[in-house]
Amino acid sequence: MPWLTAPAVRAGRAWRLVRARARRRLRGWRHAWRSSLQVRVITTTMAVGLVALMAVGAYVGERTQQGLFEGRVEQLLEESARSTRQAQETFSPSTATTGVEVRHLLEDVAKAQKAGGAGDREVFLLRAPGQTSSVSVASAASDKSLLGLVSTELAAATATGGQRWQSVEWPTGDGRSVPAVVVGQNVDVPVVGTYQLFFLYSLQAEQDRLDFLQRTFALAGAVLVVLLGTMTWIVTRQAVRPVRNAALVAERFADGHLSERMPVKGEDEMATLARSFNEMAESLQVQIRQLEELSTVQRRFVSDVSHELRTPLTTIRMAGEVIHASRDDFDPAVKRSAELLQTQLDRFEDLLADLLEISRFDAGAAVLDAESRDVRDVVLAATEHESALAERRGSWLSVSMPEQPCVADIDPRRVERVLRNLLVNAIEHAEGSAVVVTVGADAQAVAVSVRDQGVGMTAAEAEHVFDRFWRADPARARTTGGTGLGLAISLEDAHLHGGWLDAWGRPGRGAVFRLTLPRRAGIRLERSPLPLEPDEPAEQRPVGERPRTDPARVPVLPDELGRPRTGEMPVVSVASRPTDREERR
Amino acid sequence: MKGRILVVDDDTALAEMIGIVLRSEGFEPVFCEDGDEALGAFRAAQPDLVLLDLMLPGKDGNEVCRLIRAESGVPIVMLTAKSDTVDVVLGLESGADDYISKPFKPKELVARVRARLRRSDEPAPEHLTIGDVSIDVPGHRVERAGRPVSLTPLEFDLLVALARKPWQVFTREVLLEKVWGYRHAADTRLVNVHVQRLRSKIEHDPEQPEIVVTVRGVGYKAGVTTP
Repeated sequence: MPWLTAPAVRAGRAWRLVRARARRRLRGWRHAWRSSLQVRVITTTMAVGLVALMAVGAYVGERTQQGLFEGRVEQLLEESARSTRQAQETFSPSTATTGVEVRHLLEDVAKAQKAGGAGDREVFLLRAPGQTSSVSVASAASDKSLLGLVSTELAAATATGGQRWQSVEWPTGDGRSVPAVVVGQNVDVPVVGTYQLFFLYSLQAEQDRLDFLQRTFALAGAVLVVLLGTMTWIVTRQAVRPVRNAALVAERFADGHLSERMPVKGEDEMATLARSFNEMAESLQVQIRQLEELSTVQRRFVSDVSHELRTPLTTIRMAGEVIHASRDDFDPAVKRSAELLQTQLDRFEDLLADLLEISRFDAGAAVLDAESRDVRDVVLAATEHESALAERRGSWLSVSMPEQPCVADIDPRRVERVLRNLLVNAIEHAEGSAVVVTVGADAQAVAVSVRDQGVGMTAAEAEHVFDRFWRADPARARTTGGTGLGLAISLEDAHLHGGWLDAWGRPGRGAVFRLTLPRRAGIRLERSPLPLEPDEPAEQRPVGERPRTDPARVPVLPDELGRPRTGEMPVVSVASRPTDREERR
Repeated sequence: MKGRILVVDDDTALAEMIGIVLRSEGFEPVFCEDGDEALGAFRAAQPDLVLLDLMLPGKDGNEVCRLIRAESGVPIVMLTAKSDTVDVVLGLESGADDYISKPFKPKELVARVRARLRRSDEPAPEHLTIGDVSIDVPGHRVERAGRPVSLTPLEFDLLVALARKPWQVFTREVLLEKVWGYRHAADTRLVNVHVQRLRSKIEHDPEQPEIVVTVRGVGYKAGVTTP
């Protein structure tokens, strides 16, 4: 029954809330403690100061109390001894003979003694224990309700003779009590024998004085602690502030503000630190400037060369085309030369284009022209472009993607270029097996993986595939027309998006390239919606055997051709494009 | 229609080669090597199209482009060695209709030139309106709130393409094909820049376009047509 448990739930929630808040505050404190030298020093100083003050306070308080008490008790003993002598002097010459007379006598003495003291005191006259006199008279007291304060131990002790005293609590009637002292001594009373005369003295005045002293002392202590904290704060600030400033300056320097310097004031240790720091900054700045200039010159050189080459290349290219167009009029050797000229010009042009693109990345001049696009459309466009190449290579493309749109802020030109690079690369290495393109998405990112099941590569090779002009197999490279920059450019394109491009490969199991792009700028990728490593068991293919080229007989992808499934589409080859460009990796 | 083409390029070898290709396609090339003389050559030759190199001695390509555009709506195609966005956009903003980045193939050059020279003959008298902009298609006249607006042929084509199907959203790729005549998607920046230029001429407030409206993530469409 939920309405019964509701308060419990509410209480639980409140408790959790309190706990969470406490934990947050604790975390805040712990952070302050760890991160601030000042907080640490002030806290420690105040804690140590507080403990020392408390110890001193306790000692001084104890001594004061003792001194006050002992002094007062001594005074009281004197006073009561004097009073007892007075009372005895009253009793000794007395002529009382009857019980009534003795009672009157006792009451008179009690009254007289109460009034005769220096301060506020009560007087009791009690029959001493163990008296056997036949005449007995009731006790006399200035306040009978306080008779209970005279303990039997005190009475017994007093009976042995001499002056005896005991500390007691004097109830004031409103539930509280004040410290007091009872002093007793024997007196001889006519007719009835030995009586005990007790005086009850209040120590309220001493207690008040002690309280006042303690209050004063506590206040002084608190002020002292605060003063100590403030002093520590001021002192640490003097030491910490320059350190903090130095840290700030160093941080700004690290962020690239190379002209940042520390102010040098005076001749102390901080000034020395500042001077050394500035010297270091100066030498770093000079070195960084030199390196920067060198790399700028180099980058500009690459860019300029690429640009300068373009105009003559255009002329050569057009001349080549014109010659190529009329190649049938030439004899076979010249004709073949014209054809070679043509294809190599294409290659030259591709290389130049890639070189220029890389130099643009190096110069930081690459700009992301992002727009909100469905990545699936880009994937389809890329696969459509490369399906003709796949067909020529005896391979085929399979695309599987989610039904819902995978919209992300991307530069479609760059993403399509990356995908086409990956596709061409996969087709080149698929050796007639399928190339599987998978699209995946989650809230943060969209991913596209391109998998082939060709020769594959080792893990060590997979680490190098994005290197410039790197080739896994130098012998193979010459037959494929790639520039050697395609994957390097793809990696730069992925990074420009704030995305990832990863490669995985095992010999005989093919390779996987995975592009992961954040949905929007500013999202930091933590994981990819698609796995990099394929999770199917390793395909056991005898080494050396060429994979079959008949799509229908490949067991991994049974629905490959002609049977569209939801979320998966067969790619039909579309109009072919100029073939040479497709040879690019 | 074969036309006269002014080739402004300081690289004589390339200019000559372009001349050979153009001539073989039946065009009549005229040459100019210097930016300072380009405007004079333009006035003297009265070409149907200008091929303009961006890097020229004297006045640079963008400057020449602005000067020609100031007095004529003739199609201008830029030749550029730098395909960086900034350079291309700068060239397009100074009035060029299209650009070809070096190195290009002869076929590509001829295709671009043809696409720019092709003026479709409008069959029947056609009158279109978007908002308070009225377009007289055969007469190549555009009026906004009764006042004539001067558009280059390319801007005119762009406006007409949008106005003919006001219910349709055009992607940049489709506009490239319809207006520039490209078969393959080339550079959608062309569309962006020319839409900006068109807006600056026909919109009351180009920052708040009412005639050519952006559909985020898709492309452009004509604004609401008031009857």
